[in-house]
Amino acid sequence: MPALSKASFLEHSHSSADPKLKNKRNDMRPENYEAQRQPPSNEYELNFGPNHPGIEGNYALKVKLHGDIVLEAKADGGYLHRGFEKLMEQRLWIQNIALVPRICVPDPSPMELCYSMAVEELCGLKVPQRAQWLRVMQLELSRIAAHLFTFGGHAATTGMYSTMYWGVADRDLLLDLFEEFTGGRVYSIYNIPGGVRRELPDGFLQRLTETLDYIESRLPDYDNLFFKNQVFVKRAKGTGVMSREQALEWGVTGPNLRATGLAFDVRRDDPYLVYDQLEFDIPVEESGDAWARTLVRRKELMESIRILRQVVEILPDIHGPIRAPIPNPLAWNVPAGETYTRVESSKGELCYYVVSNGGPKPYRVHVRGPSSMHAVQVLEKMSVGSRIEDIAQTMFSLDACPPEVDR
Amino acid sequence: MVMSRIQKIPVVEEKKGNPLARVFDDLVRFCRSRSLFILHYCTGCGAIELPPAMTSRFDMERLGIQPMVSPRQADILLITGYVSIKTLKRVILTYEQMGSPKYVVGICSCTVNGGMYWQSYATAKKLDEYMPVDLYIAGCMPRPEAVISGLQKLMDRIKSGEADSWQDYYQNYDYYLGNQQKLFGEDWQTPTDIITEAKHYELMGEGTLGEHTRLLEQHQNPLEALEMRLGHNIKEPIE
Repeated sequence: MPALSKASFLEHSHSSADPKLKNKRNDMRPENYEAQRQPPSNEYELNFGPNHPGIEGNYALKVKLHGDIVLEAKADGGYLHRGFEKLMEQRLWIQNIALVPRICVPDPSPMELCYSMAVEELCGLKVPQRAQWLRVMQLELSRIAAHLFTFGGHAATTGMYSTMYWGVADRDLLLDLFEEFTGGRVYSIYNIPGGVRRELPDGFLQRLTETLDYIESRLPDYDNLFFKNQVFVKRAKGTGVMSREQALEWGVTGPNLRATGLAFDVRRDDPYLVYDQLEFDIPVEESGDAWARTLVRRKELMESIRILRQVVEILPDIHGPIRAPIPNPLAWNVPAGETYTRVESSKGELCYYVVSNGGPKPYRVHVRGPSSMHAVQVLEKMSVGSRIEDIAQTMFSLDACPPEVDR
Repeated sequence: MVMSRIQKIPVVEEKKGNPLARVFDDLVRFCRSRSLFILHYCTGCGAIELPPAMTSRFDMERLGIQPMVSPRQADILLITGYVSIKTLKRVILTYEQMGSPKYVVGICSCTVNGGMYWQSYATAKKLDEYMPVDLYIAGCMPRPEAVISGLQKLMDRIKSGEADSWQDYYQNYDYYLGNQQKLFGEDWQTPTDIITEAKHYELMGEGTLGEHTRLLEQHQNPLEALEMRLGHNIKEPIE
């Protein structure tokens, strides 16, 4: 049919007798489309993600806006769902070690540790001292790498791409260390139930100290570029505020909780491994906004470096095996029982609930990731009232990890 | 029902009479290979190795490869890792929106054969059943060097004219649509009219039309104006 001009459309649209206009395809003509799309108010809906440069990972938000103020936000996850908890029921206890780090990609080490701890608790395995110190070293390195990555992402959402370039490049030095002592760059499948897989290479602690020195020397530069930058400070202060009561009600943990003034850290309050023998502080901020959360991470970075320096000092004096003897892993029947273990990951409190019925495979594994609270209910509530350009910043300041939400 | 994929018809470069035209084609392909924009869509865990590859340490930009936020302006669709079924729908929509010529690179083992998640109920196992793939970079996950080396190989293939999988999508649309229908249901449809585009590009092959495209026509509904889900119904008369 011939294309209608705009004037003729307006003329015809009042006469519904015209059968041609009842054709549904006619509604899609550009001239009709515009006339019908006029909403009765200034509110409109926008899809934020999954293909969006401001979103962290493959994740989406549906937001309702008035102007650029968010009226309502709905999280839309499931793009990264792989069914981990079901997959783990179908594999041997030892095979799951390769699977668990994939749950949280930027910070995989606490995942394998927490699962190993659960299996050790079910079997009553006692982990040798040296393995415990090596595990602490791996965890803190992973924490530094994850925080550097988060700073980069957060800076990019406020338009400061140089910080992102620096953060990613400095994180790469830590990945080099990971590659050296675990064999894997990102997924270091280093922990197994009973201990760790490899002994340190020669001269590793020396190289670790050099890298720590370098990262410490870079921190003033980061301060000048990012943390003291007025662009960042003015945008982050007062963005995504939550009070301590709200944080506790919503199940917030980790640096996000500590940014509201509550000094809760699993490493100190429920010590695992050898954290009770180490000296470190729990950094706290009071204001509970995006700025406070980022500053808590910045201070945690210093604490992690402090812990690693203590490890470097103590580790050469601890000798012994790195692994407790375990039965044949391919025919390993873990005794029946259930257990709940928790560790402090860089995102918050990470817990595993593992049930065994005495068979070669887990009966049920449940992962309680910190991000499933942060990225869904907290982000939905925090976005309301903020401006649309601050959604990405709020998400990165919460340090949400979409693969862990969807699992 | 077993679906047999029709063998790809090799595109024979006709030696044109005018040597200048051949030189011009080579020049176009060379320029195309030197300015590639990757669509910034992180589908899976392999995306974590892209920031190192793009930023100062490995620096993809020295090869003329840059991220791009909009599918309409992008050349390469990087599938970084496993695609869950929900993501695959978006990936296909995105792929069809991209302008030709377009190239698909599958990163990580998961795009090749399901990888770590071969048992999973939620992921699509083989990517090339749903869209033509130019290049696979295997590994879990491939290092930034491997990603860059793979993209260099893609550049060579673009330069020599071998990377033409986007034509395959038009020539064997029935095969891809059949697999998509098997996964998403018989009433699966996308806003893009591939058959009309194939006619436009003169890429109607033996496998363009078939039983699945007939099924598509049968189920195809004309697209309606988008509705607001959270707000007012915009179809109400405006006062």
